Amino acid sequence: MISRKAAEIGLASVTALFGTVIAYGATEFGVGWAPSGPEPGTFPFYIGLIVLVASLANMVAALVAGDGTPLLERSHLKDVARFVVPMIGFVILALLLGIYVATFVYLLGTMRVQGRYGWGRSIAVSLGLPLGLYALMEKAFQVPLLKGPLEALIGL
Amino acid sequence: MDNLASLFHGFSVALSFHHIFLMLVGILLGILVGVLPGLGAPNGVSLLLPLTFTMDPVAAIILLTSMYWGALFGGSTTSILFNIPGEPSSVATTFDGYPLAQKGKATEALSYAFLSAGFGALVGVIVITLLSGVVQKFALRFSAPEYFAVYFLAFCSFIGLGGAPVLKTVVSIGCGFALAAVGMDSVSGSLRLTFEFDALLAGISFLVVVIGLFGIGELILTVEEGLQLKGIEARVRPSDVLRTMAMMPRHWATLLRSALVGCWMGITPGGPTAASFMSYGLARRFSKYRQGFGKGEPDGIIAPETADHSAGTAAMLPMLALGIPGSATAAVMLGGLMIWGLNPGPMLFVERPDFVWGLIASMYLGNVIGVILVLATVPMFASILRIPFAIIGPAIVVICFVGAYTVGSRPFDLWVALGFGFVGYLFKKLNYPIAPLILAMVIGDKAEDAFRQSLIMSKGALSVFWSNALVGTLMALALLLLVWPVAARVLFGGGRSSAP
Repeated sequence: MISRKAAEIGLASVTALFGTVIAYGATEFGVGWAPSGPEPGTFPFYIGLIVLVASLANMVAALVAGDGTPLLERSHLKDVARFVVPMIGFVILALLLGIYVATFVYLLGTMRVQGRYGWGRSIAVSLGLPLGLYALMEKAFQVPLLKGPLEALIGL
Repeated sequence: MDNLASLFHGFSVALSFHHIFLMLVGILLGILVGVLPGLGAPNGVSLLLPLTFTMDPVAAIILLTSMYWGALFGGSTTSILFNIPGEPSSVATTFDGYPLAQKGKATEALSYAFLSAGFGALVGVIVITLLSGVVQKFALRFSAPEYFAVYFLAFCSFIGLGGAPVLKTVVSIGCGFALAAVGMDSVSGSLRLTFEFDALLAGISFLVVVIGLFGIGELILTVEEGLQLKGIEARVRPSDVLRTMAMMPRHWATLLRSALVGCWMGITPGGPTAASFMSYGLARRFSKYRQGFGKGEPDGIIAPETADHSAGTAAMLPMLALGIPGSATAAVMLGGLMIWGLNPGPMLFVERPDFVWGLIASMYLGNVIGVILVLATVPMFASILRIPFAIIGPAIVVICFVGAYTVGSRPFDLWVALGFGFVGYLFKKLNYPIAPLILAMVIGDKAEDAFRQSLIMSKGALSVFWSNALVGTLMALALLLLVWPVAARVLFGGGRSSAP
């Protein structure tokens, strides 16, 4: 199990890396003084440095006094995974097949597998939401959502 | 009395059929997002914002602010009935709201909450009405260094008063500024920090980040904590409401104190969450019935609710007059103002009085309508929470990603929302505050511009931030807030008892 201490150190390393990347990326645009004022990289450069320094301090604090209790109970980790994995699947599906089709598959899957609902109710809900979204977004607000090959096939 | 005349003009703007209709829609949608787990006020406003791009700014801001009021009401509903705070700012309401509801007095608990919320909001709007003229005159004397000093003050008060670990707040603010810097630099026009990724050329939208941090992150946390809905039946009996109403004047001291705490925390960006906790703590300290706190003491509901709503309302004042949002939701709305082509700041009062005063008038109306509407619809919204999470959870996920896509019609934003969902979850688990990140993202460019313009004015000398009394005072105040956590420990002893 990941302890709270390890998670603190992990997150602090990520933010430290982020600060470093920002500060390094900023050097490309100049971090000094030009005749027209501070160069474009100046502000992000120092922001990156501040993030880096504060992250390192957080990391030291966690190393010195971090508590070793687990960040997540094992059973909770399972609950989170059961929620997060289908969600990632939904995002990938939405990029491949469009948001409407992905919504249908995602809802049908979670209702059938995790909710243990019957086919009838699962299909009703998982068809209802994308249809409702279509009516609301495309018709009422005229905001098109991401579409995929299926919509192209039926000419939407 | 200028303000009064302007206010009446505002009412003439706000009181149209179209605007009242939007107010109703906004409040109902707000209660809905406030009630649903994972959807809070900042996230709800972010989801709705892309749909207002083509609307008239007055109508759009009325819709969004009404949604905010509704979300605040909705958040308290779930705190009381289900012991689940729908909003971070309604956590303190669970302490006494849920126990009182468990005693079979759900109607009283809800009525106390909504009535004191309404009272707090009204005090907040009155403060805005009275102060906006002063703040505006004051702000017209501002030039770049003063603006930067005010932004600096806002972030220092987060660090000093926010209550989260100081260095984690600094990291959060810094990440916000860094994210704001990605994409086109508004001064030089150069494309910064894109690292050759085409998707980053247009920058990272704060709306997508809000949806990830607040929406997806909150949902994962809800799942982890195991959403257990041991709901209490919510039937609102009008006689109980009236009886509670008659009891309200007895709590005048708590009401006034909490409203003042709220206004202060809303104007200085401490935010509604800090306000509600502080107000609850003060109410307990001053109460004659201290033992009753935590077991369903009415003052324990009135204090956080009043402060929460007065802070939420008062946060609109610095947003309009200075362009500094006092809460995460106000930050999102500020972003909206800029998208609609308005320039928040003192000139807004001069250039668009119809917008400013129409909004202020709508805040009076919206909160009165809100109290009535929420009392009438509580049973309906409470029943939504009885829909099993296996259906409602994925549905909220879909709505969040749809919202992220509508911001800019960019498929890449789905990844951004997902990524920030994980970041939001980890930040919350490890006690990193999120609101400062959003604030920094929204005003990042403006703060940077102010900083650079100041340095151009002074040819690079940092002494420009102490060049006159006004900017010097602001900077000194900011630095004072910055060292406040350390100073407080030295002054009041190290063994500070933990706050409630």
